Amino acid sequence: MECTEARTLLLAWRRGTLSAPLRAALEVHVPECESCRHDDAADSALSKLLERSLPRRRAPESLRRAVAAKWDEPYAPRLSRARAVARSVGAMALGAALTVLVLFGWHARAPGETMVAEAVSDHLRVLYRDRPVEVESGGIHQVKPWFEGRLDFAPAVSFGGDADFPLQGGSVGYFVDRKAATFVFKRRLHLITLFVFRAQGLPWPAVASEHIGQARGTLRTSNGFHVLLWRDGDLGYALVSDVDERDLKTLASKIPNGG
Amino acid sequence: MASSSSVSLSFLLPVGPADSVCYAPRVREKPESPLPSAALDHLDALFRLARHLTGDDADAQDLVQETYARAYGAGLRFGVGSNVRAWLFRILRNLFIDAYRRRRNSPIGESLGDEESADNAVTLEPLRGDAELERLRGAVAEDIEAALASLSADARTVVLLDLEGLTETELAEVLGCSVGTVKSRLSRARAILRTRLLDYAR
Repeated sequence: MECTEARTLLLAWRRGTLSAPLRAALEVHVPECESCRHDDAADSALSKLLERSLPRRRAPESLRRAVAAKWDEPYAPRLSRARAVARSVGAMALGAALTVLVLFGWHARAPGETMVAEAVSDHLRVLYRDRPVEVESGGIHQVKPWFEGRLDFAPAVSFGGDADFPLQGGSVGYFVDRKAATFVFKRRLHLITLFVFRAQGLPWPAVASEHIGQARGTLRTSNGFHVLLWRDGDLGYALVSDVDERDLKTLASKIPNGG
Repeated sequence: MASSSSVSLSFLLPVGPADSVCYAPRVREKPESPLPSAALDHLDALFRLARHLTGDDADAQDLVQETYARAYGAGLRFGVGSNVRAWLFRILRNLFIDAYRRRRNSPIGESLGDEESADNAVTLEPLRGDAELERLRGAVAEDIEAALASLSADARTVVLLDLEGLTETELAEVLGCSVGTVKSRLSRARAILRTRLLDYAR
């Protein structure tokens, strides 16, 4: 393999997304090539620098309101008077139906939908806090003891973050009607929130087909966020982020079997 | 070295400040909206790219508003199952390039071609020793933003959208090129960024 080709592949190599033949070729070339090794170290430093120090601006609220207002404007063509009346009646009926849905929504939703919506809302709450975590991470052995006395269960999470998913810290939050341990991980510029809570009495999804360690989970997408839900013993887990599905599954596979 | 490129996008808008812009008639005539409301979830990421492309908050807001207005107006052409994120970024990038082209045709315009030439003229050499590596690690936010602003628009786009988590396939859709070209562009753009960062992080 030539250095020119090797250098275009270094980033994908570090992210583990290279095909097996290319990975094998690179693993032969790089250890023997000082120039490529140095290039890899420099590019790795650039990744860390960008993730750590590049300001992550949010759109101003005025822009958010302006775009949302335009987006919500109806496309509807002008209606004849008769159709407009019919539409009003229909709207009233819809309003009544929605009221019923809101009043009884918890039970009317398909199993798991409530938990998915809750997970996304709770993740957004974490993102919008001035400080997403209450205890900064110095590793899992600093974060887990912090929960003692704050929760009536021990969150079984042994994964303390790595280069791909550094642990940012933790906090105590709520999931539906109960307290939850909240762990915040990072993937490049994205935050990933893990909620750990008592599993009993929640409307879990009926189908769980994702393999997460020894457990089986459910992957859903809502409003652009991916949510992985799974149970392990008495505890429930919800992992939420807007990262790629594969990244979320990779992180999920590292979390269970906490000790 | 290419200079930071700030380009006014005010001509994209009818009149008045950003908050009072109205795009009404042409999009209201559409019979239905097939666009997912999830399109709004990408607002922050679109704003970040727009801010890095234009170098100005107000221009970035104009560019994002126009992006959504175009997406809304073109909604009927958006196919079911298409990737709305890549589609929005493609609209934003194309709007920015159109603005550049119009500016190029003005008497005092600079062109994207100038930027690309400047990028292509950079001789890439590996960092020399640990001292340069340490200097790179010690760069601060201002250094990064200045170094990014010195890249061509497409180099900035590919670096930033990769950081936002877009896949190579999505990047290819945004930039209108092959996945292979995305790999080489991303690699070269990051190498140029490292070189420029050493200039700024002194």
